[in-house]
Amino acid sequence: MSRRPAGPPGRARGDLRSRYRRTARLAFLVPAGLYVLFAFVVPVIYNLILSFEQTTPATIANLFAPWAGLANYKFTLLQAVTQSALIRTLTFTVASLVFQFLIGFGLALLFNLRFPLNKLARSLVIVPWLLPFLVTGFIFRFLFQFEAGAVNQILQDLHLISHPIGYLLSPGWAYVTVLITNVWLGVPFFTVLLYSALQDVPPELKDAAMIDGAGPWQCLVRVTLPVIRPVIEVVFVLGFVFTVKVFDIVISLTQGGPANSTQLIATWAYNLSFQQFDYGAGAALNTVLLIIALLVAPVYIRLNRDSLRQG
Amino acid sequence: MGRQRRFTPLIAGVTALVALAILMFPVYAVIVGSFETNSQLLGTHYNFLPPTPTLANYRTVISTQGSHIVSSLIIGIATAVLTLAISLPAAHALARYRFRVTVGIVASLLVAQILPSIVIANSLFVVYHKLHLLNSYPGLVLADASYAVPFSILVVRAFMLGLPNDVLQAARVDGASEWGTFIRVVLPMSRSAIITVALFSFLNGWGDFIFALTLLNGSTVEPITLSIYNYIGVFSEDLGAAMALAVFAILPAAMMLIAAQRYIAAGLTVGSVKG
Repeated sequence: MSRRPAGPPGRARGDLRSRYRRTARLAFLVPAGLYVLFAFVVPVIYNLILSFEQTTPATIANLFAPWAGLANYKFTLLQAVTQSALIRTLTFTVASLVFQFLIGFGLALLFNLRFPLNKLARSLVIVPWLLPFLVTGFIFRFLFQFEAGAVNQILQDLHLISHPIGYLLSPGWAYVTVLITNVWLGVPFFTVLLYSALQDVPPELKDAAMIDGAGPWQCLVRVTLPVIRPVIEVVFVLGFVFTVKVFDIVISLTQGGPANSTQLIATWAYNLSFQQFDYGAGAALNTVLLIIALLVAPVYIRLNRDSLRQG
Repeated sequence: MGRQRRFTPLIAGVTALVALAILMFPVYAVIVGSFETNSQLLGTHYNFLPPTPTLANYRTVISTQGSHIVSSLIIGIATAVLTLAISLPAAHALARYRFRVTVGIVASLLVAQILPSIVIANSLFVVYHKLHLLNSYPGLVLADASYAVPFSILVVRAFMLGLPNDVLQAARVDGASEWGTFIRVVLPMSRSAIITVALFSFLNGWGDFIFALTLLNGSTVEPITLSIYNYIGVFSEDLGAAMALAVFAILPAAMMLIAAQRYIAAGLTVGSVKG
């Protein structure tokens, strides 16, 4: 029986080989590591720095500007537009998620039934999610236009309204229009995830509940919902993440107007930085947006704990 | 009971049809609109069908927007290539090897998925100004990949975790290097996940607007999302051409849905797909 070479020389060689192998393995991570630094770590840190600086269009050439303390935060957060954008983003997110869930879950339950062309319908339902968001906003702007708009035309043809409504011209309606657009593009995401969750509910569970005398509603509330709860949590967390940073559809539908009535945090931060050239103020508001988005990070990580553990 | 059984599919089918009609109407409307004249699009009433179908809008788009369509294609393809080049090796390493930092890396990728693009755009604008990356394909593509890189690593890694271990061991025994195993064994076996990720990263680059709006401010590079936005911005009279351009903008999604439906569905189910 041959023994493994012992002693310093052999061990050194083994060490060298395993160190080489470890380096080779780490090399696979280098591009991704550099990219994460470039696209996420540096921008977040730099955004934080910018938010504490006294920036002007001229200072942009220098990468760093004089220290400003909390001036940008005070200036931005005391603005009426910022405050209403913060509250609006909150109500917009809650309303979007509620409607996306109700419609998405309804469609998921529908697709869970057997009917002709079910598969075709399920594949078409994804379409709104795949379109570029900016294009979606552009199309809805056309549908909701005052004259020759499809929505006014249809509602008038159905005698639901007697005069056309200026959806994009009045603050309240403009908000509703952005909301409808966002619900439209988000419904597929909810439908597809909830549908696949429903498919995984063991039929025996429902059968057992039926035998125990439960009606369809009780089955839904007592059996189905508890079973698919993890997926419901995931869609709400991801839905929150998507909605809280909504940008493209607002810019293409209303550009934040009329009179800033549809400004959300992301669009107002863009406005501060790129239209008023106050990068410091924009960065301060971006930091607030970042904190709000990161509120769900612990939940999101917990929901993905399986993928953390494996490997 | 028997009657109820027979009628349920009918009612469900009709309900689904109505829901689909509402969901698909905007797509229908933009296609119809692309065949109408500006006076019809901006007239006094909405047309459910083009009164006098015309190809004039498409002619305008092809003669004036050709370079922008090409720009969008370049951006979409480059975003997909860059995303794959960055994320495939990382996914392999995170699925295959045990690092002390694996949990930390996966958690930070989940956090990266959450970061709003406008935050990244605001910083990158200033950084790019210094690095002279504004108004350039490389700058834009590097930014656009941020939509897809975290998602791609996580999705492909999850898929690779499910690969049979003995095949990989066999490759190792045959003397293949780490790199050789990755290229010749792991990648071919992960084909379906790679296709899913490639399609979505293409769509992310193709449909990006935030980075195009903030990191391009000249006319050197102009993707079609920006062109469509410019139509809106200047209240241009040529709504018809914008409609035809919007139809071009939704073509890739439509083609993918027809040709690669199962990869698209897979990508959606795995989770967050769009930034």
